[in-house]
Amino acid sequence: MARQAIDPITASVIQASLTAAADEMFAVLQRTAMSPIIYEVLDVGTGITDARGELVSSGAGIPTFVGVLDKAVKRIVELTGFDNIRDGDMFVTNDPYFGGVTHLNDVVIAQPVFADGELFAWTASIAHWNDIGGQTPGSMAVDVTEIYQEGLRLPAVRLFDGGEEVRSVFEIIAANSRLPDFVRGDLWAQVAASRKADARIRQLVESYGLGTCRSALDDLFAEGERRGLAGLAALPEGSYSIEEEQDDGALWKAIITVSPEKFLVDLRGNPGQRAAPYNTSRDGAIISAQMIFKALADPTLFANAGSFRPLEVITEPGTIFHAEGAAPHGYYFETRIRLYDMLWRCMAKALPERLPAGHFASICGTVIAGNHPDTGRRFTMVEPQMGGWGATAERDGLDAMYSCSHGETFNCPIEICEARYGLDVGYKKLNDSGEGKGRHSGGRGVSVSYKLRARAVLSAGYSRNRMPVWGSNGGGHGGTNGLSLVRADGVREDYSFASGVVVRPGDRILVQTGNGGGWGTPLD
Amino acid sequence: MADKTIRVATDVGGTFTDLVAFETDANGVARVITAKSDTTPPNFEQGVLNVLDKAGLDPSSVDFLAHGTTVVINALTERKGVKVGLITTEGFRDTLEIARGNRPDFFNLHYKKPEPFVPRYLRRELPGRMSYRGEEMTPLDLSGLQAILDDFRADGVEAVAISFLHSYANPQHEQAVLAEVKTLWPDVSAVASHQITREWREYERTNTAVLSAYVQPIAERYLSRLAGGLKDKGFDRNLYIMQSNCGVESLDVVTQVPITMVESGPASGFWGAAELGKLIGEPNVLALDIGGTTAKCSLIEDGQVKIMTDYWIERERTTAGYPIMVPVVDLVEIGNGGGSIAWVDDFGKLHVGPQSAGAAPGPAAYGRGGTSATTTDANLWLGRINHDYFCGGEVEADMASTETAITAVGEKLGVDAAEAARGIIRIANNNMVNALKLVSLNRGHDPRDFTLVAFGGGGAMHAVALAAELGVKKVVVPAAAAVFSAWGMMMSDLRRDYFVTRLADLKPGAAKGLETVFAETEDRARAQFDREGIDADQVKFLRYGKFRYQNQEHTTEVLLEDGVVTDERLAAIEAAFHETYEREYTYRLDAPVEMVGIHLVASAEVGKLTMARSEPTGTDVQVALKGQRSVDYALEGVHEADIYDGTKLEAGMTFSGPAVVEDPGTTTVIHPGNRVEVDGYGNLHIHLKA
Repeated sequence: MARQAIDPITASVIQASLTAAADEMFAVLQRTAMSPIIYEVLDVGTGITDARGELVSSGAGIPTFVGVLDKAVKRIVELTGFDNIRDGDMFVTNDPYFGGVTHLNDVVIAQPVFADGELFAWTASIAHWNDIGGQTPGSMAVDVTEIYQEGLRLPAVRLFDGGEEVRSVFEIIAANSRLPDFVRGDLWAQVAASRKADARIRQLVESYGLGTCRSALDDLFAEGERRGLAGLAALPEGSYSIEEEQDDGALWKAIITVSPEKFLVDLRGNPGQRAAPYNTSRDGAIISAQMIFKALADPTLFANAGSFRPLEVITEPGTIFHAEGAAPHGYYFETRIRLYDMLWRCMAKALPERLPAGHFASICGTVIAGNHPDTGRRFTMVEPQMGGWGATAERDGLDAMYSCSHGETFNCPIEICEARYGLDVGYKKLNDSGEGKGRHSGGRGVSVSYKLRARAVLSAGYSRNRMPVWGSNGGGHGGTNGLSLVRADGVREDYSFASGVVVRPGDRILVQTGNGGGWGTPLD
Repeated sequence: MADKTIRVATDVGGTFTDLVAFETDANGVARVITAKSDTTPPNFEQGVLNVLDKAGLDPSSVDFLAHGTTVVINALTERKGVKVGLITTEGFRDTLEIARGNRPDFFNLHYKKPEPFVPRYLRRELPGRMSYRGEEMTPLDLSGLQAILDDFRADGVEAVAISFLHSYANPQHEQAVLAEVKTLWPDVSAVASHQITREWREYERTNTAVLSAYVQPIAERYLSRLAGGLKDKGFDRNLYIMQSNCGVESLDVVTQVPITMVESGPASGFWGAAELGKLIGEPNVLALDIGGTTAKCSLIEDGQVKIMTDYWIERERTTAGYPIMVPVVDLVEIGNGGGSIAWVDDFGKLHVGPQSAGAAPGPAAYGRGGTSATTTDANLWLGRINHDYFCGGEVEADMASTETAITAVGEKLGVDAAEAARGIIRIANNNMVNALKLVSLNRGHDPRDFTLVAFGGGGAMHAVALAAELGVKKVVVPAAAAVFSAWGMMMSDLRRDYFVTRLADLKPGAAKGLETVFAETEDRARAQFDREGIDADQVKFLRYGKFRYQNQEHTTEVLLEDGVVTDERLAAIEAAFHETYEREYTYRLDAPVEMVGIHLVASAEVGKLTMARSEPTGTDVQVALKGQRSVDYALEGVHEADIYDGTKLEAGMTFSGPAVVEDPGTTTVIHPGNRVEVDGYGNLHIHLKA
């Protein structure tokens, strides 16, 4: 492929425009999606990759989605064959074994961008769909043993073929969801996002020429790598290890080795994959490592394939961090955030001034599905919860923020929640538990009460339910996360992971998320 | 009626108080007066009286006075407001602090969440609950209010904000609390959220009420002193205050809810662009305002500015900011102005802004100790700005400082000064192009169908390059572009934007409900105008519906044709929604459409200026030609450009680029191949190469 020498200003102009294109995709998705988890919670990611799937730029949204899109595109290219990809094609995948990385609810739509008859780039987005079928509403059951029980698998297939809608795929998708109108709306929102960026990128290539644009990408990757290496150079060389007991009693471990050229994360020797939805693909484990590496080396929004070149991750096939065969993935995100949190803790022990103490570190995904008591319309509420963040060497921790896996994630306003789902929110407040003491205190988690007005089905996934949030440098530990169901007759049931729980009118769902860890020994 | 009419616009900025006046005789011929004097904090009214004096205007002879001020936005950004106490629904006092939980700087584990304007101990609760349908679920219990107010008083609270869940649907609880607060503590400044907005989203609405309370005593003091000062000098007409929705508002109304002034500065310029477009037959306008620290742009379609209530302060790519749910002109603002600093990061990349050298020390060329290269320095270095006519000849350009500053940037990039200066211009231009794309392409508009109207101190310097990049065919630089905002203020109507949340399926039988909410809101509007002595038949309405596909959240606004909404018209309304939606998002769905609320614009003209058009005199354009100089057009290379004196250009004159037009407040850069004509109002029409 022809490259042309490029002046740094032209490179900057092209690069800024590619970032703007990814941002624009994000804005389109936010404005057009059907599911609150997309338009309000913004459980989405958008990005642009080069022809081979190397990440060029990403829009706002969720940082742990930044590393998904490139891996999805690479797999699409691999499965389709580079030369078989045509202008006007668009692909869809949601399967971790087919480039989907995460779980079946997260659907990736990717469109190749052609200019001068050549494949130049990809525009891709990932978004959490409310319901992709499977055994439980919301598609996230805890009592599954195989991925087949989790819903429809879309194995990196064409959604558009040379500009033509592949009707059969659209129909199969709609027929497999409990909420076909929603998935149709969300699907088209993602298509629209890709098209917007596609038009922008074509215009860019028209203005500057293909060779110049390709050179701008090379330059961008090189900058990413320089930034990563510069950050790495500021970390003390050495080998750092950690072992950590999980809520279920399992012992996880990691060894991080820092050298001038490499940030090596060794995850061998971890527990075997389970016949339960707590596995992650190797790609998912890599994302956890990318997150801590980025936070330490270059915590800016600048991220592309080059940024992660100094990172190497070793996993062992058949473990929970490298699932194979038909292992289910529904709650992969709890495993992934637990891994990110453990790697963070590992580095915080070595560098307590550089990183905050632990935060509540769970998505605390809460899914309530039922029929609206006033309109009779079917709904699925999918909401993560906010919690407390850890204190730092300089200040107290932040109150009520979404987890480290989130980013531009917004809570659903109570006024919209009550109108849309027909339930009553009794309170939503900061905790007063006082956990997370230290020279600087951990931030406060939240308490929320949802009272049901009609029958509904509850699913939830709260980790850090038994083992509390860690303090740093002598600071006290923070809280734990959990969910209780208080029946109308006053009987209380506590949950961490649950699905298919029937909730009746008058029952209250009480959410409690942990305070962050304290930093430093308390002064008094 | 006097033989002449005097209209005055005054604008209080951080440093200067500006004045523009139009003295129109019986034949419509206008004399334009401009004046400038120092802003005089904290007695701002003094600066206004001073500038009137300096302009030789007797307040008692002024017929129409419009006033714009940054007092609200400054009080917010400088945290100079008063101590606020918040009263809210039981169980929800932390809403203000929880905010939305987002972390835009998402790789950064040291992110700082914006702090609430009211600390927890001053956020208090009362029992009482409405449902989303506006039905009372729990009655309001005011028995605890006295104790809350006692605490507030003891803690030095000066203003009380009241915000209850679902008050957009039923404000009765808020109204009852507000009334009781006024009874128990008559002196305190108090505001309830429903007085400002009738839209849902409790955090946004609560924060809006809090920020309004935070600035209310300050704005009240400011406005009453201003009105008092003018009255003492004999001014006996209505004083109109510029609003963020491009309209002006009466003093009484603004005093109650001053937060609506928050973005009034940019709003007047964008309104000016819309009015100018109507005047010259260009209803579709991309408006660009480049000032000292920022560039702002907005899109005007079919003569209408777009007003939204999704406005945030201090929101950046890396920080969440604070929402203010008031009608604000839809604009994109970026940190790129004449004073924006060029810098090279650790990885060799050139950036321009958002840091600005401001007015002090200002660009290196000011010679006031500024050592950073700014966009202005780059423009000087490339010959785009005349260094012998810097700031209209008022400042001697310190070219040695400019050279040092730009050379330093070049050294970091490994290029010479000229290349560095070109780089600064290109980066700044690209930032602005991306901003212009946000308001056009991003919203489904093709910039090639629009005329770019450029104003502010720097608009005309960059406009042609931006237009070329966007495929825009024509750029218009208004006469007196530097004071264009003040002109816009004089063209403004008394305007109110009402946003009301009301859910309704768009299906047969729904028309009655739609019509009711429009009619009720129109009655509210007429009543308000009536109280100010404006007859109902003078009030003009524009009805917009906010629609979406069922289950979506974000809405698309559609302008409804005049007349009563009937079931027969629903199909046409739905079709208009599908069409607008598809234009913006490339697809339409076969799904039910619902209305989420309405946006009603009510306006009445109040002493608007009528512009007189001059006929061409046939004078040769050569009379305005000052000479030639070498100008660097960045991507288009260096050319000998004709330099024109803007004050000598007359209607009907034409000339071609490469050229530069120099006015006291503005420099217009005309690129090779551009053709320019001067219209009957003194505006420059620059036609780009096809």
